[in-house]
Amino acid sequence: MASRHAGAAGGMMRWGKLRGVIFLITLIAIWEIASRSALLNPLIMPAPARILGVFSDLISSGQIPWQILVSMKRAAAGYLLAAAVFIPLGIVMGLSQRIYRLFEVAVEMLRPVPPPVVIPVAMLFFGLEDEMKIFVIFFSCAWPILLNTLDGVRSVDWVLVNTARTFGLSRGKTIRQVVLPAASPQIMTGLRVSLPITLILVVISEMVGSTDGIGYFILDSQRRFRVAQMYAGMLSLAILGYTLNKLFNLLHRVLMSWHWAMMRRTEEG
Amino acid sequence: MNRLKQFNWSGWLFFGLLLLAWELGTRSAPKLQVYSPPLSRVLAALVVSAQSGPLISQFMITVGRFLEGYLLSVAIGVMVGVVLGYFRPAHELFETLIEFLRPMPSVAIIPVAILMLGISDAMIVAVTVYATVWPILINTIDGVRHIEQVLIQTGRSFGLSNAKILWQVILPAASPYIVTGLRIALSIALILVTTAEMVAGSKGLGFYILDEERSMNSGNMYAGIIVVAVLGYALNRLFLALEARMLKWRHGMLARRAA
Repeated sequence: MASRHAGAAGGMMRWGKLRGVIFLITLIAIWEIASRSALLNPLIMPAPARILGVFSDLISSGQIPWQILVSMKRAAAGYLLAAAVFIPLGIVMGLSQRIYRLFEVAVEMLRPVPPPVVIPVAMLFFGLEDEMKIFVIFFSCAWPILLNTLDGVRSVDWVLVNTARTFGLSRGKTIRQVVLPAASPQIMTGLRVSLPITLILVVISEMVGSTDGIGYFILDSQRRFRVAQMYAGMLSLAILGYTLNKLFNLLHRVLMSWHWAMMRRTEEG
Repeated sequence: MNRLKQFNWSGWLFFGLLLLAWELGTRSAPKLQVYSPPLSRVLAALVVSAQSGPLISQFMITVGRFLEGYLLSVAIGVMVGVVLGYFRPAHELFETLIEFLRPMPSVAIIPVAILMLGISDAMIVAVTVYATVWPILINTIDGVRHIEQVLIQTGRSFGLSNAKILWQVILPAASPYIVTGLRIALSIALILVTTAEMVAGSKGLGFYILDEERSMNSGNMYAGIIVVAVLGYALNRLFLALEARMLKWRHGMLARRAA
């Protein structure tokens, strides 16, 4: 949204942004005062300064970093597993109409299942272990990754593929060097959409069935009425979500600049 | 296009084989029944619990919460979205706050909601609204900002009142964006209702499914999951049908304008 007005309006944008920050700080200040003067129930909404204090204590004691690490291990495993299974499946389904039709009904039947509902099934199979969360994440990332890969492969220019085949490229090489690069923007879209889904599902599955991880930590803090600790956990989750998104954008830019450079090269060459 | 409309024999055959493998696998290896009873018994459980009551009443509760949460989100998201999309300074004011709140996975709000509202219907609806409002809000803001100013100015010079400009210019022109937000919000609302019911509910399909798992009635658990899946599917279909009708109206309007 911001980039549209960049350039000449740069100065104005920065002023607008500054106003936004000032507004946010004002809100936090009002919260602080209201909580201290007991206008807001400090048992439910403790003062931001207190939350920040608890937050920094929990960071330096290593408790929050540990819980985040536990959650991230599960999230990464489920996410990467989904990518490893459903990108290849999407490619195969995109290339072959017959295979697409074989899986179509099963996919359409499973897709409307809201992912959290899979948690009890996963608990039945895996108990409260890490595998339970990994499976739930795997299941919920399946659809965006699969369907975007499928779309990406289908929209590949067939002239490209046929040319490669005419020049004697093997099937495997054609897929790796022609289909995959051409479909990669859409594959990246699927991976991007799956990122917040992963984070949401790891938190939910830890709330429903776990004894550690940041989702468990937040809910457990609430149950023990350690309210500031609960907000500190939420703050760490917000920072985590923000950071992951920025990291993905960075990775995306690096990978895609290579992609566009290659596309240009093929056009010129 | 014609081929797509053909009945998908191989797909249904494959899906049928999967179901058959479920039925026969669990029958021939009773050990597997720890994970699931045979499909036939799941279907029997579905029929029994639908007839004798619990499943139907849980279903109604979940649908009620879903509707309440979704419709509230639509009202709030569209209203606030129009204001923030139309008045730039208002948007600038709230932009940082939105950027700050959005990256946090919405379900993390559940403990706060429990703290404020206890374990209640209001808590579940509040959580659903918090999560569901985002896609509607963001898409409405985008939609309103993409409206050509000429449209609004033309309306003004024809002497349209503010209310008329809102109803006859702004909302129709932004509707493609708004509809996208509404569709994304649909599945989010169902996810949040079932999640909240699992984490802190005593009623509803989410609670029912988890509770049946804990009491080792996996037949009822799978029956509950089938019901939720059918609900999700039906909601999506209903939405697409409504959207098609809306789009038809929109196509008509665009055609009239072109003529």
